[in-house]
Amino acid sequence: MELLRYIAKRFLQVIPLLIIVSLISFFIIRLSPIDPLAELRLNPSISQETLDKEMKRLNLDKPIYVQYFSWAKSFIKGNLGYTSAGEKVSTKLKERIPNTLLLTTIVIFMTWAVGIPLGILAAIKKETALDRLLTVVSSIGMAIPSFFFAILMLIFAVKTGWFPVGGLTSYNFNEMGLLGKIADISKHLVLPVIVLFTISLSGLQRQMRANMLEVLDSDYVKFARAKGLSEGKVIFKHALRNAINPMITLLGFEFAGLLSGAALTEYVFQYPGLGRLILEAVMKSDINLVMASLMMGTIMLIAGNLIADILLMITDPRLRGRS
Amino acid sequence: MEVLRKIFQDKFAKAAFIVLAALYIVILFADFIAPYSNTYSNRSMAYAPPSKIYTIDERGKLSRPYTYNYKREYEPALMQTVFKQDRSKKYYIKPFVKAEGYKFLGLIPTHRHLFGVDKGGELYLLGTDINGRDVFSRLLFGGRISMTVGFLSLLIVFPIGLLYGGISGYFGGIIDTLMMRFAEATMAIPSFYLLIILAAILPSGMTSIQRFMLIIVILGLIGWAGFARVVRGMVLSIKNEDFVQAEKTIGASNMRIILKHILPQTTSYVIIAMTLSVPSYILAESGLSFLGLGIQQPDASWGNMLKEAQEFTNILYRPWLLTPGVLIFIAVLSFNLLGDAIRDVLDPKSQKRI
Amino acid sequence: MKRIFTVIFLLILVGIFLKVFVKQDIPQKISDKIVRHDLQEINYPPDEKNVTINGIDYLQSQAPVGNFGGELIISTIGEGPKTFNPCNTKDATSSSMAGLLYDGLVTTNPRTGKVMPLLAKEFDINGNDYIIHLRHGIKWTDGNPITADDVMYTYNEIVFKGLGNPSTMDAMKVEGKLPELVKLDDYTVKFTTPKPFAPFLRQLSYPIVPKHYFKPYSDKGESVFNAFLSPNTPPKEIVSSGAFQLKEYVAAQRVVFVRNPNYYKINLKDEKLPYLNKLVYMIVGDTNNEILKFEAKEIDVLSLRGSNVARYKIREPESDYVIYNLGPDTGTLFLVINLNNRKNKDGKPYVNPMKHKWFANRDFRAAIDWAVDRKNMVQNIASGVAEPLFTAESLNSIYLNKYIKGHPCDLDVARKSLEKAGFINKDGKLYDADGNRVEFDLYTNAGNLEREALGVMVKQDLENLGMKVNFKPVEFNSLVNKLTNTHDWDMAIMGLTGSPLEPHDGKNVWTSSGSLHMFNQRPAGYNIDDRLDWEKELDEIFSEGALKLTFEERKPLYDRYQTIIYNQKPIIYLYSPTRITAIRKKFKNVFPTSLSGLIYNLDEIYIDEES
Repeated sequence: MELLRYIAKRFLQVIPLLIIVSLISFFIIRLSPIDPLAELRLNPSISQETLDKEMKRLNLDKPIYVQYFSWAKSFIKGNLGYTSAGEKVSTKLKERIPNTLLLTTIVIFMTWAVGIPLGILAAIKKETALDRLLTVVSSIGMAIPSFFFAILMLIFAVKTGWFPVGGLTSYNFNEMGLLGKIADISKHLVLPVIVLFTISLSGLQRQMRANMLEVLDSDYVKFARAKGLSEGKVIFKHALRNAINPMITLLGFEFAGLLSGAALTEYVFQYPGLGRLILEAVMKSDINLVMASLMMGTIMLIAGNLIADILLMITDPRLRGRS
Repeated sequence: MEVLRKIFQDKFAKAAFIVLAALYIVILFADFIAPYSNTYSNRSMAYAPPSKIYTIDERGKLSRPYTYNYKREYEPALMQTVFKQDRSKKYYIKPFVKAEGYKFLGLIPTHRHLFGVDKGGELYLLGTDINGRDVFSRLLFGGRISMTVGFLSLLIVFPIGLLYGGISGYFGGIIDTLMMRFAEATMAIPSFYLLIILAAILPSGMTSIQRFMLIIVILGLIGWAGFARVVRGMVLSIKNEDFVQAEKTIGASNMRIILKHILPQTTSYVIIAMTLSVPSYILAESGLSFLGLGIQQPDASWGNMLKEAQEFTNILYRPWLLTPGVLIFIAVLSFNLLGDAIRDVLDPKSQKRI
Repeated sequence: MKRIFTVIFLLILVGIFLKVFVKQDIPQKISDKIVRHDLQEINYPPDEKNVTINGIDYLQSQAPVGNFGGELIISTIGEGPKTFNPCNTKDATSSSMAGLLYDGLVTTNPRTGKVMPLLAKEFDINGNDYIIHLRHGIKWTDGNPITADDVMYTYNEIVFKGLGNPSTMDAMKVEGKLPELVKLDDYTVKFTTPKPFAPFLRQLSYPIVPKHYFKPYSDKGESVFNAFLSPNTPPKEIVSSGAFQLKEYVAAQRVVFVRNPNYYKINLKDEKLPYLNKLVYMIVGDTNNEILKFEAKEIDVLSLRGSNVARYKIREPESDYVIYNLGPDTGTLFLVINLNNRKNKDGKPYVNPMKHKWFANRDFRAAIDWAVDRKNMVQNIASGVAEPLFTAESLNSIYLNKYIKGHPCDLDVARKSLEKAGFINKDGKLYDADGNRVEFDLYTNAGNLEREALGVMVKQDLENLGMKVNFKPVEFNSLVNKLTNTHDWDMAIMGLTGSPLEPHDGKNVWTSSGSLHMFNQRPAGYNIDDRLDWEKELDEIFSEGALKLTFEERKPLYDRYQTIIYNQKPIIYLYSPTRITAIRKKFKNVFPTSLSGLIYNLDEIYIDEES
């Protein structure tokens, strides 16, 4: 019951948040000197009439607040509007969401599967050569600009011929059998996953190491040790359970990142994901598309936090009274 | 001093510190060290490879280092541009040569450069770019932007974040709720997109200095909310400490308590956050410039220099254009290693990454 | 143990140091290998013929007979098609793909540029009457016949109503009036223009669409029609007429076409074309990715620019591709100067009046023209793969004014021109007659390496004259906004694509009321006549040129317009890239032309794996 009330309360808090976010982003985008019709204008064979028609269709001739209200009205009704090229925003998003989900879930799964054990390992072997090595290696992962790394990976793909150059499927994808299809997609995913994995692994590994160290330093672990429990038991039974709690909050954030994707990496790899779509939309000031994706990102973030909080309430009884 | 000594016990941190110090010294004296100025360009030498420097001459004798000029030839059949050495004249590399004039440290006008070749000679340590500009010199000038953009952004992030978080945490209640909701709203917008939206709306009539300043402001605007939240959390726990309560009973003003007593308590966290967030600003600047939204030509930054390295043929045939990427890597790595060490020393308890 | 590591580490350091700093001067051996450069002889086949078999009017390709089957994979840069509705395309990718699906009545001869029949069997021109005879017995992909009703529908209910993209309607208007269209019988229609109108015939290349498929949507009005045939339409549903029909569209990845078994073109053995089974367009984001894909053999055709050319040229003899030089591109790069002297709504001049005084001065513009170093631009930025440009028509245009020879870069001429215009150079700084320092902004779109490098060069060139140039690369869309909407700019580096066949297509740029009349843009609905003398003359040339019917009559007019632009220099042309394209050797029947490019005859291209 308490949990339900908490969730309801959180949902109510979401509404003003969404309004603020939408206001901020709408006005920033609309105030920009970018012209959503720029490409049309530069086409010598497009007439003034076409431009006027487009102008009307996109409501560009009205004051900004009118544009905002007409946007907000249709957004509440669930109508995301049309892109500046005249396609439905909802179909555009639907095309891309599964692709981005595929990429990000794989990356998150892999970073967690590798990052958490490495973090624990580093914490246990604190200040040994292994710990140092892990720190340096993870620092290296954080230090490469993602787009630069991605470009180098593409060159690697071309030089060896082992991996396809960007994209998600081969041109004859539809004629393949099920196994062939899986193999084809995996082949395309290897390089982008490597790039994103390398970049996000280090952060996670460090975080886990820090949490673990803090817990290992705490009184109850010392107490457990004093009781004469074996080191393995101390670590896995007592320390780990407490060290993992803050990670749940982090998972909430990662959940939000699921859909906002990794724009630069997707861009370089020509990956048909949301990140690339939003990036291109922002550069073109395609307002409906940008707004829809930003709102989606916000909702995902809030949902992610909410899920994390609920999980925390379930796993950590101490927190139940608070908030 | 004790703290510094402790930090330097860590060999990596020591190395990182030396590297960073060297980088900052080099960019501070960029005018003097670079053989060419920021605006120098040689029309007939676009994409010239690095000058070859010889210390043993063609008869096998040890010699002072010297180099040859290149001459450019165009082969119409292959549509290929080739650079051949013009072996008619040797140019010796000399210290303190006279070349383009500049103001040493912005004050003393002089013509001396650390090293260079005699008039008529060309020395491109790292080759040239598409406009025939010396990559080595531009790296130094570009470093001025790339290596300072992070620190300058922090000058915006920290006052806002400290004050905002301080006020919010100190007063609590409805003020806290409102302020935090607003901070969360800005955090809820995916930061990279907010960054490009903001960069894209920069008015186009700006000078490069203005643009540089505004990019700093934008990077700052992205980062303040997260920082403010952490500060708020710290303030929440500090404000119940005895000394704060004591101040309150004396009747000190709220602002005074926040500024004089609470915020100084967060110093070590601030220092850690600073070193650890500088690299993210360096990376953000390079990402922006990669998209063409950052520092603009003809000014140099490591990010916009690296843009040239995007092209396939440039990576294959002109690897010297990749050097800005290497420098970004080295700088960011050093900051990370140094930040880690500082954190370990200043704040061994809370090992949270920011 | 530790000691040993330290020693080894130091040794490595010393080694690297020696390697870098101790180098013996051994003269490079310059290989004298002469690269054989075969000039490609292309044996163009004769023009296609009409052949009637069993009452069906086929179009017979005269190209060598090839093998059936296989696939050609090409690329399209950008985000892919936005619609397959040929009447509603607004971007190049969509219109080329929709154009693949729907043929027009006529087409352009890829070599001569003359208009020749396509879906029409033949046409007769009698004064203002254009009588079109359709082919008997040819079919849409769903088996329905293609008849005069489809033509009537396409023109009367789509084109003349301005449904979708109304550009063709505008282009067909002569002095505000549309041509008339009458159906003579099921396979014959007649167009009548109100006046003789040269560009009309070429406008008949507008795609003909199936009435039975389109009408239900066009009847429901504009918005339904615009959404019709969106890229997500189930491919099976689409009724088309072109050589290929849609098979699959995968967002942001590719568009796949398969051969249309009902196509009306046959080869010399009377077998139905096209040869290829499949045509795949890979959607790639930028040229870098395109090159990588070609390198990885994921695509078969690649257009090469700049320094890439040399890489592929050198490796051509041992490779699986051939490179064709198609001559200068229709794309042009130029520097445009803002001559606008109007005021915005708040009464503020768009261009500072002091600057306007400079820009309006022909000698000032001439000085700029003489100062820009086109030779080094071509050499540095395009790696030699381009031609300096001085004319408003592109170098492959059939209307190119060959008497405009251009000139080398000469700072002395430029300085004299400035002196003549009353500018004074003091200590390397240029001042106008009133003592103002000459300083202005130069814009181009950011993120484009080529244009940014051009801007840096132009800036240096003009600074040699003592001008102060603030070079400001801005986001592409905001630059266009400046040029067409807010007009608050001084100079800009831009590019446009021209038409090598029809100079009238440039009317939006050159006529004073045009929507792309960048150098002196008037707002829409502007009705004050403040045209400059030469702008008036341009207006006259363009209205007169459209009404003259033969090339011989029109040529002198369009020569004159190029001379005016060359003399007045509101736009200073810089260079035009050379079009170099590589295609895998296994593709045969490739007959590149400078007008139409490399793979305009997709229905004739076949694969010969043997070679």
